[in-house]
Amino acid sequence: MSEYKRTAVLVDDNESSHKFFLRSVENLSIDLKAYRDTDTAMKFLGENKPSILFLNIILPDKNGLTFLGELRKLPLHAKTPVIMLTSNDYSQDRTVASELGVLDFIVKPMSMRTITSIMLDYIK
Amino acid sequence: MTKSYIRFWGVRGSYSAPFETCLKTGGNTPCVEINVDGHTLICDAGSGIIPLGNKLLNNEKNKDILILLTHFHWDHISGLPFFGPAFHPKYNISFFGPGESKEIIKKYIDDQMKAPYFPVGTEEWVANISYLDPKEKNITYGPMEISYYSAYHPGITYGYKINVNNKTIVYIPDNECLSPNKPIENPEEFSDEEITILEEMTREEYRAETNTIENTDILIHDAQYTPEDYEKKRGWGHSCYTDVINMAIDANVKNLFLFSHDPNNNDEMISKIFEDSKKIIKNRGSSLKCFISTESLKVSLD
Repeated sequence: MSEYKRTAVLVDDNESSHKFFLRSVENLSIDLKAYRDTDTAMKFLGENKPSILFLNIILPDKNGLTFLGELRKLPLHAKTPVIMLTSNDYSQDRTVASELGVLDFIVKPMSMRTITSIMLDYIK
Repeated sequence: MTKSYIRFWGVRGSYSAPFETCLKTGGNTPCVEINVDGHTLICDAGSGIIPLGNKLLNNEKNKDILILLTHFHWDHISGLPFFGPAFHPKYNISFFGPGESKEIIKKYIDDQMKAPYFPVGTEEWVANISYLDPKEKNITYGPMEISYYSAYHPGITYGYKINVNNKTIVYIPDNECLSPNKPIENPEEFSDEEITILEEMTREEYRAETNTIENTDILIHDAQYTPEDYEKKRGWGHSCYTDVINMAIDANVKNLFLFSHDPNNNDEMISKIFEDSKKIIKNRGSSLKCFISTESLKVSLD
């Protein structure tokens, strides 16, 4: 297992979302790793714990909440800080996410300031 | 005689509508039978599965049934306590739906048939019941190849894509479809650069959704709201029929079946929705064929 780093992971199939996050963190000392699906993300997350994980709910290969449920069963990710991303803010999604220990919800469209602020809040 | 077909047994969203003014469309909640060469696939187990179960008990030689559940909201599972084949030992019934494990799926199904909600539990089912591993990404059932994807609906909800007889069927009864031109609220809060990327983000999400249903032969899609309803119920997880028609046209869908009708909409209102749908399609110069899903409607797959 690699050493704990100030690494943020984004899992979102939307290329523009990757661009938005990269611009948001470019002045921060954060290594942002962006993935488009859970299978690819799992290759990194299987052996590494990021400082924070941003996870979109609608993904091409698996629902983000289902993926998080699987991640939580791994000791490595039992307490990984997770922020959910969504275009549709449903209260039932928030309930499921809360049960999975999600820290916060970002509803698209969001500002770069929102992302920067969350990064600074949760990455100590 | 038609060997392979889709038959609609329940077409209402949210709750049943057993009202005199609704009976031409039908009052049962979601259930669609896809029968291919005697293989019985059932999409959702709303109250429409009750008459379907009775038909199976009376007529069918095949005793194997696969039930796909899009999610576990009550209008999609409320018929299961009265599904006759589950109480018959000669049937083999498999379930598939969203969940982390077979045990979770079983629990979701069992829980609605427990005290104080219902007097008869699933332990009374004498059919051979099994639960498919929800981690399977593709399911083969007879000649049908089935995959699934996430819908925009509260909780974890699936849409199903079924390939059979060189046709693609997509069943997605609960989905708040996206719009490519959704305006950004409070644009003054964003920089020009942010707005440029965010607008592209919206278009890209829409393209992802249309790619999922691109060139579908038969799309059965949530169309619960009128534009007036949607103004009040945006964010409730259902679609406005005008958005669905435009999305289907953009995705080059061949046949669209408007589904999950609002139980508040009587037959007259649904006729108006159908007439308006045809106007939208004509105005866009599209070859899309649009239909209203009605109970007992049967579509050949041969």
